[in-house]
Amino acid sequence: MNNEQRTTNLDFYTYPSVGTDDWCYAFETARVRALELQMFTRAAFLDMANAENFEQAADLLSGTEYALPGPGEDFVQLESILLLRRTAARKIFSDLMRQKSIAELFKTRDDFANLRLALRRTLTEKPLLNDYSDEGNVSLDLFEQAFTEDNYELLPTYMQQAVEQAVLAYYQNKDIRQIDFVIDSFQADYNLKEARRLKSVFLIDLFGIQNDLTGIRTMLRLKFTESHSNVRPEQVFLKGGFVEPELFEQALELGYESLAPLFFATPYYRIVEAGASYLASEKSFLRAEQQCDEHLTGFLKSTLQITAGPQPIVAFLLMKENEIRNVRLVLTAKKNNLDTKLIQDRIG
Amino acid sequence: MLANVNATRMELLRLRKRVALASRGHRLLSEKRDEISRRLIKIARQIQPLRERVEKELLETCRRFMLARATMEPEHTKAALEVPTKKFSLAITFASVMNVKVPQLTKEIAGEIICYGFATTSGEMDAALLALERALDSLIELAEKEKQARLLATELQMTRRRVNVLEHVVIPELHETIRFIFDKLAEAERDNTSRLMKITDIIRA
Repeated sequence: MNNEQRTTNLDFYTYPSVGTDDWCYAFETARVRALELQMFTRAAFLDMANAENFEQAADLLSGTEYALPGPGEDFVQLESILLLRRTAARKIFSDLMRQKSIAELFKTRDDFANLRLALRRTLTEKPLLNDYSDEGNVSLDLFEQAFTEDNYELLPTYMQQAVEQAVLAYYQNKDIRQIDFVIDSFQADYNLKEARRLKSVFLIDLFGIQNDLTGIRTMLRLKFTESHSNVRPEQVFLKGGFVEPELFEQALELGYESLAPLFFATPYYRIVEAGASYLASEKSFLRAEQQCDEHLTGFLKSTLQITAGPQPIVAFLLMKENEIRNVRLVLTAKKNNLDTKLIQDRIG
Repeated sequence: MLANVNATRMELLRLRKRVALASRGHRLLSEKRDEISRRLIKIARQIQPLRERVEKELLETCRRFMLARATMEPEHTKAALEVPTKKFSLAITFASVMNVKVPQLTKEIAGEIICYGFATTSGEMDAALLALERALDSLIELAEKEKQARLLATELQMTRRRVNVLEHVVIPELHETIRFIFDKLAEAERDNTSRLMKITDIIRA
């Protein structure tokens, strides 16, 4: 990024640019617009949240793709339905995305998740097992072979580098968290590098926002757990966002009430203000996470101005995944008789 | 007891010693029973708020964990909790309370409870694990107190039965036997006296 023109948070008010139209995607965008009409509205989630019990909340899903096959179904079945819906959404995304490199970029999320799990198991000498996600770019057979034979050259280059760095970081002081820190950081760098290679303004901005939001959540979590002395800030704050990691490091030294003014010049002022005050009063991250999701969804919804292009397709995938998470949240909360206010605080 | 007893002075002396011993045992056991009761009540009073606190903390932990699990992707939840880094061991020593061996638990904890990165996990997971860590202290204390209470209650029950047996069976039976032997000996004494008087009368006549 050093030699490139870099967008800063001073170049936009709330959301950065989503790029320009690409008329190759006219049909695909039209399909996504049609699919978006079937997505849940906030009112539908609120109705579910206000339902008296789990059965009533599940009834509200009966006319949707999340409908349970029969009454009295257990929660495991619901989980599998939600996973199927997620797989279907990802398949639609892959089919509609004409630039296969973008589809592969989003599939690397599963590769990195698998890598994280496999490395944790391998380095702590636990059985490798075979319960990995099969929605990544690397097939499970190849993945298993690479780890069984310790031959990481079978993996794609980006995974080889991640493995190498993660193993080195782990053996420095045998801290299992180092694996995650390295892979998170590597994944963020890789996403941005690929987005730049693809010359996609939308993806660069999307990953930038995601890095910033992760930084905000991490900063609040480090403050809450009072563990910022145990980790090095440069390890946990992802680079490549619109906010410099130094700002998060600076925030670690301040009290909750002083956090929001620090972010006043950034688009995240409201997130930090609402998240920090809720965290201070309720000792919970629900509001911070809800605000982060809402900010990201707001950015994704700004792709409505794109008539045709890959942006609405990416936005559809991420919003669909968010919808699935929200359905799971509401039903989990209803199943376990959690307070409606908690659900409302989380889904906004 | 009465059927097998030899009505002799030796037996009477032996039984009197046994009554003295049983009475002393009864007094000591009564004191032990009272002391165990006092300690049991004290522990029971501590257990009630402790149990309420533990249940509240565990409920809070579960609530937070469910929220975290619901908002995270399943593969991220699995990866995050696959390798726990917190090492926990429990050492048990025994203390003697009124001759009852009660356990005393000492925990040894090492490592951080948060064992994952931040990018793919929810903050609620941190809150859940920290709540669990807090609940663990109370949970160990509760386990120790409940075990102590259970052992003391068992001992109290046994002691109370012993006291009751001494008070209502052993000591009354011994008293009854003593009275029986005393009566027998007195009767024999009277028999002897009357026989001697009769012999005296015969000799004089």
